[in-house]
Amino acid sequence: MKKDLMISKLIESRCSIVPESGFVFPRDETAEGGCGVIGMASNVQVPAKHMLESLKQMRNRGNGKGGGIAAVGLIAEEFGISQEMLENDYLLAVAYLDIRIRGKLEESFVAPVFDVHHTQVQPHIPDHTVLDGLEVPPPEVVIYFVRVRPEVMEAFIQENGLEGMSDRRVEDEIVFQNSYKLNTAYYESSGEKKAFVLSHGKNMLVLKMVGYGDDVIRYYQLEETRAHVWIGHHRYPTKGRVWHPGGAHPFIGMNEALVHNGDFANHASISEYLAQRNIYPLFLTDTEVAVQVFDLLHRMYDYPLEYVVEAMAPTTERDFTQLPEVKQEIYKKLQVSHMHCSPDGPWFFLIAQSDTHGEDGSCYRLTGITDTSMLRPQVFAWQENELENGEKVAIGLAASEKQGIDAAMLSLSESDRRFWPRADKYWNARGGSHTDGGAFIFEVRDDRGKAMPTISVFDKFGQAVQIPANTRPYAGHPVTELSSIALPEEALGDLFGWMKFSITNWKYSDLIQFLNSAFKTKSMTGEWDELLNLLTLMMDRRYDTGELRRSSVVSIVDEVFDSTLDAVGRYSPDGYRVLQSGEALPESESDNDAVVIDARGFAAEGENSVAREIVRLSQKGFKRIFVVRARGHRFLGSGLGPDTSGLRIDVYGSAGDYLASGIDGLEVHVHANGQDQLAQIMKAGKLVVHGDVGQTFMYGAKGGEAYILGNAAGRPLINAVGKPRVVINGTCLDYLAESFMAGDPLKGGGFVILNGIAFDEANQIVDLETPYPGGNLFSLASGGAIYVRDPRRVVTEDQLNGGEFAAITAADWALIKPYLEENERLFDVPVRRLLSVGGVEYPPEDVYRKILPAKVRALQAEESWVTADSAVH
Amino acid sequence: MSREPTNHELIVEKHTRNLRDGYHVWSHDKTDVERALGDYRWTGEMILGTYYQAEHGRPPDNGLEYRVGASGGGFDVLDFNWLPEEKWLAETEGVDVSISLNRRGKGREITIPIPIYGGGMSFGSISEQVMLARAIAAKKWSTFFSTGEGGYPSSLVPFKDHIITQVATGMFGVREETIQHAPIVEFKYAQGAKPGLGGHLLGDKATSSVAALRESVPWVSLFSPFPFHSVYSVEDHRKHVDWIKTTNPEALVSVKVSTPTDVDMVAVGSYFAGANIIHLDGSYGGTGAAPEIAKKNIAMPIEFAVPKVHKYLLGENIRDEVVLMASGGIRSADDIAKIVALGADGAVMGTSELVALGCTRCSNCERGRGCPFGLTTTDLLLSEFVSPEWGAERISNLYQSYEFQLKDILRKLGLSSIRELRGRKDLLVYRGNGRK
Repeated sequence: MKKDLMISKLIESRCSIVPESGFVFPRDETAEGGCGVIGMASNVQVPAKHMLESLKQMRNRGNGKGGGIAAVGLIAEEFGISQEMLENDYLLAVAYLDIRIRGKLEESFVAPVFDVHHTQVQPHIPDHTVLDGLEVPPPEVVIYFVRVRPEVMEAFIQENGLEGMSDRRVEDEIVFQNSYKLNTAYYESSGEKKAFVLSHGKNMLVLKMVGYGDDVIRYYQLEETRAHVWIGHHRYPTKGRVWHPGGAHPFIGMNEALVHNGDFANHASISEYLAQRNIYPLFLTDTEVAVQVFDLLHRMYDYPLEYVVEAMAPTTERDFTQLPEVKQEIYKKLQVSHMHCSPDGPWFFLIAQSDTHGEDGSCYRLTGITDTSMLRPQVFAWQENELENGEKVAIGLAASEKQGIDAAMLSLSESDRRFWPRADKYWNARGGSHTDGGAFIFEVRDDRGKAMPTISVFDKFGQAVQIPANTRPYAGHPVTELSSIALPEEALGDLFGWMKFSITNWKYSDLIQFLNSAFKTKSMTGEWDELLNLLTLMMDRRYDTGELRRSSVVSIVDEVFDSTLDAVGRYSPDGYRVLQSGEALPESESDNDAVVIDARGFAAEGENSVAREIVRLSQKGFKRIFVVRARGHRFLGSGLGPDTSGLRIDVYGSAGDYLASGIDGLEVHVHANGQDQLAQIMKAGKLVVHGDVGQTFMYGAKGGEAYILGNAAGRPLINAVGKPRVVINGTCLDYLAESFMAGDPLKGGGFVILNGIAFDEANQIVDLETPYPGGNLFSLASGGAIYVRDPRRVVTEDQLNGGEFAAITAADWALIKPYLEENERLFDVPVRRLLSVGGVEYPPEDVYRKILPAKVRALQAEESWVTADSAVH
Repeated sequence: MSREPTNHELIVEKHTRNLRDGYHVWSHDKTDVERALGDYRWTGEMILGTYYQAEHGRPPDNGLEYRVGASGGGFDVLDFNWLPEEKWLAETEGVDVSISLNRRGKGREITIPIPIYGGGMSFGSISEQVMLARAIAAKKWSTFFSTGEGGYPSSLVPFKDHIITQVATGMFGVREETIQHAPIVEFKYAQGAKPGLGGHLLGDKATSSVAALRESVPWVSLFSPFPFHSVYSVEDHRKHVDWIKTTNPEALVSVKVSTPTDVDMVAVGSYFAGANIIHLDGSYGGTGAAPEIAKKNIAMPIEFAVPKVHKYLLGENIRDEVVLMASGGIRSADDIAKIVALGADGAVMGTSELVALGCTRCSNCERGRGCPFGLTTTDLLLSEFVSPEWGAERISNLYQSYEFQLKDILRKLGLSSIRELRGRKDLLVYRGNGRK
């Protein structure tokens, strides 16, 4: 049978489940905006408890009115069944809001359709009220391992003319339709809600309830349950007084579960699109519609993932023109055909998929897709280990916030020595782009016992993410060899310099020996400043670590840093106080006194937050504040008021959103990646980030200096005015300096220097293919300038929308050189290296280009007379 | 020894005198209202009636219809269901028209003695003199006025206890100290006159002083984007609120939104994110800078939005924890009482304050030198037509007239407090479509 005919027959077979009412224009019953999501995938099965801390730290993204998890690639013994049954049977999980109807439900929707091979009730803690804030009792969950009865298969094939179609496709469809009927009977939005299907894919389980996502794990006692792929979700529904677990995420299609952060405007039109294909969503949320679209495209239409992603998040604008011609042709067709199922608005999907089709075994996927405009935050991460026996163990993660990933990795590394806290790589997807397509896929392949499962990570186009090879991680490798290194006297003056020079020949034992000796020597002499400085430089700087993996080295340094601070807390050396949550504020005796805030016990926001503690300390006169062990604490540096020069804050760990927002004079140094919304409305002072920064960096900023070692995500410097001066060493996703209004840089205005560099495996500086991949650079700007390092002139006119290129003059170079020198001092990115291309140094005007606002093109007739001169008015 | 006045001073003096004479003469001596004055919503009579109130602090007694317009819908076809006269309260003494702006039971208590405060008009959209006039009046009445987007000149700092400062999508003029000064911080998500279109200040009005305050390039149009680039969902909004509360933990938070069809959902979301005040801005709101096609055509009229949201908040059991303020086409004391009866706690006034200062609703606010009456202008000469003291007196008189009328309305409805009027739709009667 031809494929298109089969597809239409399958769709026709759904006529029996079309509701009598036909298409009803959906009216969101529980509209929602955002959510917090995390997903992880590994080729070894990991327990759910490692999502607990992550979800707890992202609780502000939910309101306790909906949470859920999905697990894919489970362990047979944990269910007391055979491996074969786990892989071949459908795992039908039914949520009973009223357990009394169980018999009746089974009689109508289980027994007649399925051969039931195993049944069990999902265990849970006896009393839900012990979980704080959990008001609505979670549903009783019964799990059935089932196969469709042969006679039911036969009848379905005959009835719908599906002869010749693979058994798997038919069986999937019967399971899908049966669940639909069950939901219609027991859970239609309009009717009484008594039971619904949580999930029905093979080797996949979804659980959800009216509460926070982490409480789902606690309530259903999943802490030790292991799976290859996990996703967790908090929901923030804003409407409806009575909530039902059916409205929580994840939502299911057939073999996939989807969680979603965001919402879209064309929910109704997508519902219509689905109705034309005999799919009538039941739960009245846009998330359900999204997963139905995914299922339709992937299972029913059998599109490869690439096409599914293209149909949902189309490649647009300049990115489209950058695609190879053959792709343009296919994508155009996809866009034209599926325009009406492309969610329009801010969204980020995480999809856990159990794809057990293949003859060559099972495949479990975690896919993250962002909308074309990247309106929701998203971070991906990857860590890979090679064990002594040569086996590879790797984990991929994706979340709304980097701190969520950090929390999961920390938790995992504490109980599983094969992992360590820092990932090898963190990155963002560029929505609807020709570079990565705005989607990343972590794929676990299990060839059923032949060998250990494997995992790979690739983007929408199937390009593997480059990960550090040729280096050895520390975790899981017992250090047996003894180190012979000793600290020479002359090294004590410049420990970092000596380490940097020596480490290329080191083994881990040498590194540990070095750190121990440094700690002993410097703590004995009371030179804590120097010790902390050494450790900080070891975290911040990029240097060749020889055969050692950078992420492992830094994880070890993190650990030594933490124990050093514990020692500082114990000995209280002169000039340092360690402040734990709940302790009384110390008094400042001298201007040099430093306070170290151990962030762990503090709240992420509110009166008991680190941010407010900093305000109180500053009022006490402290000028030097360290925040350590940050776990997503937000607003650090905010609330200090005007004119705070002289104060310096150093942040270690995972700093949260809005860091340094509104600062007016102080300095903030972040010794890690930053998150979203950093330095909003910054007025003056200095921000240094030894890593990447997230969305809308320096939105509406008025001034100050900022130095970013890595990349910025979408919309940096948007609507900035005044005189902000910024060095970004990497690149940005898109929309850099849109509506920039920062005067004339040569007369005191603002600018951004974009260096377009990255670091290779040996941590050496390399040039990016392009300093700016996006299609919108300096759009609608009326002031300020971009200085882009683009020696090969790859940035083109069509990326500008209202800007124009200008040559670098001597005055320009004199203006930006001091900032590049400061950049060199902070990050060890030499100016000479920046001016070099292929090892040859060029004059600045050959390397940098300036982008200026084009003459105002009369947005309004009255503006046509505005010229640069009249701006001095 | 007196100095010869300069030409500039002579021009200002002459125009100011003529304008003020005009406001007086027109509202007192005209037997016919100029047909070119006003429109169906803001009729000529209503404009002149507002001039009269601004001069005398009481409603006109010369027959001008100052209570309703002639739009044929909305407020103009609603009337009060008066009690029979014998059931009226004996006097207005003791009738309470104050409202609380924080009903959450935690945080600072702020009560305003009249159920109104001034809505957001930025420096740039209006002159510094007009801002000062509003500030003085707000102080006199112990209420507030919103500075709109774009910060405020330092001359307003003495009035900071009466300032609502705006954090709007362009973040213009938003700094830590502007947030820390203000007892109330208003997040402007949208304006009823132009929902989804951000904010506009055209180049001609972005003078050096306006641009200096906003730290932008002078004489270049300023567009505030829509929406906040950092807020695309409700949890972003919550984070946004948490940020402001970190900067100023004492501040009350107001969330100003326009009125889309799902405005009820927006209101509930704002409540959960910690808002003290939900400010709904309906489709008839001011702003000459809104694109013509947007005005009155996108958002829902405030008379529809308020009962919808009120009902929804009641259903969610949170109505008594938030303050619902309404704006966007509220022109008179009657309108204020009607919107409260429809479910609001109070009203936010913008246009009527400008009318008190001589606005004729000619809708030429946004381009060229701006308002010929010296209101919505940043032109140095034109803005001198309004002196802060004269302006404050006019606005203050208007408030006095409103207070008098509101108390009188409550008296005739048998209510001793405006808080009892909230949501009493039964006290309104519909007079549209020929109903008597």
